[in-house]
Amino acid sequence: MYKNFFFHLRPRKVPARAVRFTLTWGLGGAATLMVVLQLLTGLLLNFAYEPFPVHSYLSVQHIQTELFLGRLIRNLHHWTGHFLLVVACLHLLRVFFSGAYVTPRRGTWYSGLVLLLLVLTANFTGYLLPWDQLAFWAITIASSMLAYIPVVGDLLQNLILGGTEVNGATLHIFHSFHTTLLPLAFLFFMSYHFWCIRKAGGVKVDGADRQNMLPVVPELLVRELAFAAVVSCFLLLFAMFFDAPLTGMANPSLTPETVKAPWYFLWLQELLLHMQPVLALCLLPLAFSIFLLLLPFLSQKREKPSLFVQVIFISFFLVIITLTITGVWFRGAGMKLLLPW
Amino acid sequence: MNTPQRLFVDAGQLSDFGPGTVTLIHEANCYLSRLDDGGLLAISRKCTHLGCAVPWVVERGRFECPCHASIFDSTGNVIQSPAPRALDIYLITLTHNRIMIDTSKTVKRSVYVAEQLFYPQELG
Repeated sequence: MYKNFFFHLRPRKVPARAVRFTLTWGLGGAATLMVVLQLLTGLLLNFAYEPFPVHSYLSVQHIQTELFLGRLIRNLHHWTGHFLLVVACLHLLRVFFSGAYVTPRRGTWYSGLVLLLLVLTANFTGYLLPWDQLAFWAITIASSMLAYIPVVGDLLQNLILGGTEVNGATLHIFHSFHTTLLPLAFLFFMSYHFWCIRKAGGVKVDGADRQNMLPVVPELLVRELAFAAVVSCFLLLFAMFFDAPLTGMANPSLTPETVKAPWYFLWLQELLLHMQPVLALCLLPLAFSIFLLLLPFLSQKREKPSLFVQVIFISFFLVIITLTITGVWFRGAGMKLLLPW
Repeated sequence: MNTPQRLFVDAGQLSDFGPGTVTLIHEANCYLSRLDDGGLLAISRKCTHLGCAVPWVVERGRFECPCHASIFDSTGNVIQSPAPRALDIYLITLTHNRIMIDTSKTVKRSVYVAEQLFYPQELG
């Protein structure tokens, strides 16, 4: 039964070219490892975390300063969350440029998009949990952007926050999503994602030579384990040297001088400074989402995306990256432009 | 741990708020602005741009948002964008000379108009 289960995830043999590192850069594997790390560290943190205003801040302080290995585990959970989002986006880029989204890989593409959305939601809901000034105001800013969506904006904002502003109900909702619904959704969609890859015949290899096959065990497995060890070491070292931020306790009456949305939503906050709210927060993100959803149909019979599709995709990505970098490093108090050095 | 929101907040005695003053009412998370003609406005602290808490700057006599530098006058009207509209207000009633602010409903407005003012009829 064990062998049977394993066979559903992995074939017995893979083309020799499929095990080359440069084919995938190990991005999907790294993302999987990071999700598993998040589940494990999150489980440990949840033993000591209390999802109520004030208590939540104190419990994070307790984890950080008094619990055995608490600081390291929190740092690991915090930084892995951020890296996971970066890796997931790079994975998306790699899949796009390989053209690995047309039939028979549509299922993989769509489940991948859902997983990206889950990573974003997990990062966003986790951001509030420390209940410090940074978290409180970042979530306030990010959720206020929702209110600009015509007709349903206010309703959406109220639904997510459990009221008109960030409060105890919001913390409760975010914690419930972060610790129950999202992990379950991850398990379900990751399983589906792997099954889709398996069904489509493994990772996409251009002009694969089906004669030159290698056994998965040990050829692929050893490479994967070695790569997992390198990624784990990197994350562990990062968590040892860089502390996850924890500012003063959330104070709804006092907005700090510099308030920014979480970095992955900063491009939206930045857009809002430059154009009409409806265009910035509704039409542009909607256009990009529709483009990603229609992508498998835009280049149905092609091996690689056409030049036109590539130009649209790269333009969107460059805009998002430029705005994110501006927001993170070139904005100071009152969102005034400044040089980071 | 989410305490149910109180509907009415007792802001204090009417005589405590002189004309031309802006007072922070902590419990209601709003400011009570009494204009020179005696009219009252309960102005929300939440910036209409992205929800930051807006402080009243006494020296310059205006609300200045620290997040994106929006500025509002004592009626909550926008002096400087990016805030898209005037600060929200709450309804006010007077009970036994005490000002009661109804925090259960936020009144959204694009600009300040005189009809939004509450003129208390003080009891002798």
